[in-house]
Amino acid sequence: MNGAGDQAALPLSPHEFSTSWGRLVAGLIGWCGDWDLAEECAAEAFAEAVSAWPRSGVPDAPLAWLTTVARNRARDRLRRRTTERAKLSLAFADATDEVAPVHDEDIPDERLRLIFTCCHPALPMPARVALTLRTLGGLSAAEIGRAFLVTEPTMEKRLVRARAKIRDAGIPYRVPAPEVWTDRVEGVLAVLYLMFNEGYAASSGESLLRVDVSAEAIRLTRSLVELLPSEPEVRGLLALMLLTDARRPARVRRGRVVPLAEQDRRLWRLDQVAEGAALLDPSPPWGPYAVQARIALCHDAAADPEDTDWATIAELYTRLPATPVVELNRAVAVSMAQGPAAALPLVEALTDALAGYYLHAATLADLYTRLGRVDEAAGALATAIEQAPTGAERRLLRERLEALGRSGGDTA
Amino acid sequence: MKYMLIHVLNEAHLGDMPPEVEPELAAWADEMVGRGVELDGARLARTATATTVRTVDGRLEVTDGPFAETKEQIAGYDVLECDDLDQAVAVASAHPTLHVGAIEVRPFDDGMPTPEVPETVAEGKRRYLMLVCADMRRAMAAEREAARTGAGAEDEEEDTSTIDAWCESVADRRIYGFPLAYPDRAVTVRRVDGRIVTTDGPFAETKEQIAGFDLLECHDLDEALEAARTHPVASGGVLEVRPLWD
Repeated sequence: MNGAGDQAALPLSPHEFSTSWGRLVAGLIGWCGDWDLAEECAAEAFAEAVSAWPRSGVPDAPLAWLTTVARNRARDRLRRRTTERAKLSLAFADATDEVAPVHDEDIPDERLRLIFTCCHPALPMPARVALTLRTLGGLSAAEIGRAFLVTEPTMEKRLVRARAKIRDAGIPYRVPAPEVWTDRVEGVLAVLYLMFNEGYAASSGESLLRVDVSAEAIRLTRSLVELLPSEPEVRGLLALMLLTDARRPARVRRGRVVPLAEQDRRLWRLDQVAEGAALLDPSPPWGPYAVQARIALCHDAAADPEDTDWATIAELYTRLPATPVVELNRAVAVSMAQGPAAALPLVEALTDALAGYYLHAATLADLYTRLGRVDEAAGALATAIEQAPTGAERRLLRERLEALGRSGGDTA
Repeated sequence: MKYMLIHVLNEAHLGDMPPEVEPELAAWADEMVGRGVELDGARLARTATATTVRTVDGRLEVTDGPFAETKEQIAGYDVLECDDLDQAVAVASAHPTLHVGAIEVRPFDDGMPTPEVPETVAEGKRRYLMLVCADMRRAMAAEREAARTGAGAEDEEEDTSTIDAWCESVADRRIYGFPLAYPDRAVTVRRVDGRIVTTDGPFAETKEQIAGFDLLECHDLDEALEAARTHPVASGGVLEVRPLWD
């Protein structure tokens, strides 16, 4: 089952395709209540568009055209089935059928129901991400599998299980009730942010074969900003994604991740920085995504690493829930704004909470180095090397240890 | 006395069920209903359809899956009216679940009424079993200690006002529900080499133990989860919500 066939042949931008696909599938599920059928027929409708539109031109109301084709396909399939469920779906579909709309604007946008259901907490997290990419973004199981380094059958199985749970456990197809609204919006944002981060992290490596999942996450969040205009954290998340993604062209050089301070800032995408900055509310209260976006903006706004407004960054970190990792990041900002001596007690206080976390030892090593306490720096680096999760990070830390030996030798 | 049968089996071996199970099951149910022993019972959908609610770091969390990862999974339940435990074990021993799995037999708290469960499910609704689970090891140890020192029977008037208020608030979707006796009152019945073997204790050692259940009838999962989220146990225990077998 391929996504939407050869969508590249359609005269639609990726955003237009994603929007049309999401709206088509969302409407079809609302119409027949059957997720598998909705996706199959949406794919068939797009396949038909691929052959018809280049000849006859894009119809005036493309979504209405696609909806009509998909509904006819769905009806044919339901008539051929004989199960009770199919008869029920058909009766329901016929009963709720209306005259095909002439304008796309007349078709209600039901993507909000779809995204809340895809991101329902009763589904496992990986399934939420996959289902959102499939049903809202229109990516095929093969494409999603490539993005997350699993085989197509594995990804297909994950999607089948998720749809089965929606059906068998009775997960409703609707926007959530007021008493769980805040939690559920947060849940949707968490799925989109995870999707973005996975895609962003993947863009360092063997990215040629990979679908750009972070671009897809940005697209979906953009749609969500339109669908939930009164939720400031949706804009905060979109801003955070854009302000982070703006640095992507400079993030990898010759297959290696370049640290922020060493990136060629001329490569950063200023249009994305401007768009992200414009999304942020000028005055508090800011939610956690908006605060993180502001921190990203402080980095983006600095033409040179030396220009970074570390004092503001340190202040912004106090606005986030004070987890040990947030505190560590705040300490780093403090060390840049006020010097290593001010930050050292903050980092030392986290020793128990972050035992085993290599960035804690690495940060400690950095502060000791800057304070000229070479022996303690070497000890902390040795710990960090032991705890570092990947070879690339170990290599970077060893280089620092060697540099320490040389400078230590110089001063001794 | 009323007893609960908790049927457990390894879902991976569901396909190994011999074909005679279905008629045996029907015969067992016919007989037990006829004798007035079987008051209610149902098969559950697979654990893949289960959802749990628990409090993590002061926040209610909804997650995919059953309340505990166990080698065997809960596949159904029965509510029995029996003279004593021996009769309940005998009734369980005749159940075809023992071809592939085991049955935990546990008394309910005293004084439970006869459940009234409508034969048919209301239009547009479905039924869910909500398992109420909590870590009761400390309470059990305290009870044993009290029994040992003879302190016992210290008029511990249990406060039922919060649970009563909850029952009231979900009256539109709750058919009935019973609290179970502590799991140290349970016995588990298996068939080993053709012989019925009864062991002391519940079917599995888990962090939280089943403390009771409620049978719900809801339009969708969110309605059932709302009942679980507002249940008094949600703040300290775990609630599993699973649809009955369709």
